[in-house]
Amino acid sequence: MAASTLGDAQQVESFVHQLINPATRENALLELSKKRENFPELAPYLWHSFGAIAALLQEIVAIYPLLSPPSLTAHASNRVCNALALLQCVASHNETRALFLQAHIPLFLYPFLQTMSKTRPFEYLRLTSLGVIGALVKVDDTDVINFLLSTEIIPLCLRTMEIGTELSKTVATFIVQKILLDDVGLNYICATAERFFAVGAVLGNMVVAQAQMVDQPSQRLLKHIIRCYLRLSDNPRAREALRSCLPELLRNTQFTACLKNDDTTRRWLAQLLMNVGFSDSAAALGAPDVVQPSPVMGA
Amino acid sequence: PSSPQPPSSQAGQPPASPGQLSGQGHVIINPSLGDIPDRLMLKRHVPAAVDRAIGEIITPVVERSVTIACYTTYELVLKDFAGDPDESRLRKAAHLMVSSLAGSLSLVTAKDPLRISLTNQLRQMLQPQVSDAAMLDNIVSVLVNDNLDLGCTLIERAATDKAVRDIDKSLQAAYDERIKARQAGKPWVDPAAYHGAGSRFPGSLPEGLRPRPGGIQAHHLRVYEDFTRIPRTAPAVPPPGTPGAPPGAPDGAAAAAALLDR
Repeated sequence: MAASTLGDAQQVESFVHQLINPATRENALLELSKKRENFPELAPYLWHSFGAIAALLQEIVAIYPLLSPPSLTAHASNRVCNALALLQCVASHNETRALFLQAHIPLFLYPFLQTMSKTRPFEYLRLTSLGVIGALVKVDDTDVINFLLSTEIIPLCLRTMEIGTELSKTVATFIVQKILLDDVGLNYICATAERFFAVGAVLGNMVVAQAQMVDQPSQRLLKHIIRCYLRLSDNPRAREALRSCLPELLRNTQFTACLKNDDTTRRWLAQLLMNVGFSDSAAALGAPDVVQPSPVMGA
Repeated sequence: PSSPQPPSSQAGQPPASPGQLSGQGHVIINPSLGDIPDRLMLKRHVPAAVDRAIGEIITPVVERSVTIACYTTYELVLKDFAGDPDESRLRKAAHLMVSSLAGSLSLVTAKDPLRISLTNQLRQMLQPQVSDAAMLDNIVSVLVNDNLDLGCTLIERAATDKAVRDIDKSLQAAYDERIKARQAGKPWVDPAAYHGAGSRFPGSLPEGLRPRPGGIQAHHLRVYEDFTRIPRTAPAVPPPGTPGAPPGAPDGAAAAAALLDR
């Protein structure tokens, strides 16, 4: 065990060094992105090693000319996605996250989230970019939320929630959910009617789209959508507005039957309906511990 | 001494006014337009349209691109060159990186808005003289295709110029500290780079990855020089022998999906 760990560390170190040489970079990106899950210290290795982050930034900006008009090949997309997976490590790690934010590196991914092409290379590019942002918000850290709210992340997430595949939509909704769960984020989104209705409309459209699916609705997407709505209902003005703009489908027992195996989400939905004032619909979900609206917070 | 200071991009001058930028000589009037350019006085109208289109979008694009590029460059060069006593190497690396990042960001941000703005400008200018809508569309589209890159280049140049000026202001203290250490005959060391506040890193990194005083070599500097080799336009045809992508999602995309499992 110890010997293999040592061997791993040496291998990783060697691949990190290879990142700064264009001739060895592509292979190093591939090898390191395979190792990232089993080597928890990859992030500090990357951050502190001379030029490794600069090299990853070169990979990112080298793709910009292929965004418009869209001409990203599968090969170029895979390569940059490997670089992004390494940045996701840096975003996840407790000892590099703040440095990563301080250097404003997430903003270099925003041009990828602006793209509209639905081809697979672009879809993977958006998904992997969202993965980096998702890794930032996954740990609950108000500094991260403040940073993201000072940027255009909300409109960019909403865009993916409209045009992305199910998986991209879910990651984007997860990001919005994590932003909302922070008080700063909830207050930000509920600060103006325009913001609230922009988020509400996109969440509503996703619910409607799920109901129209040929297959079963996506449970994991619905779970994050419902959590977003529930959190919005903690704000008094949003709670009022949701009375009229919450999709009726969420009170339709035929539609919500798809949640029958997911107690947590069913309880969230029951609490949401109770908060918004649809106590009969809440009761119909059969979640016994939801008996009254949760207290509102903030002003 | 190396406590991070926000780059002073807001203190920089506004980008050069668009009027100085385009210059009559640089616009392209496509020969395929025959005698239309003379009739419509395109030699006068097109530079004016390019100038106005640039003017509509340049200020926010340059501000944003330069600000981001300066933040990133500031943090990364101070980290990478923490053990390097030579301020000229720090300055050179910073210039290479900040120009490239600000230029790339400004191009990717400006391209689509500039296309729209230039189309609108040309359409407004030429509409009174061209009654046939299809012909107007055609002329405008030829002119936009031929001159969009000129507009992009001018915006990119404004961004790179400002970025270099701004990063020098932000890094002035770091340059001065190195000069001062040399004049005093002291070895240069940036203590912050060796003892991250309350962090195990970089101290517990393997020897080969830890920053070392004077440890920078030519192959290190090349990664910064490589910033000048990033293509600014898409290749006309994909490079020969581009290997096919393996089937299925790239590994990176799997990383995003893994976030959702807990």
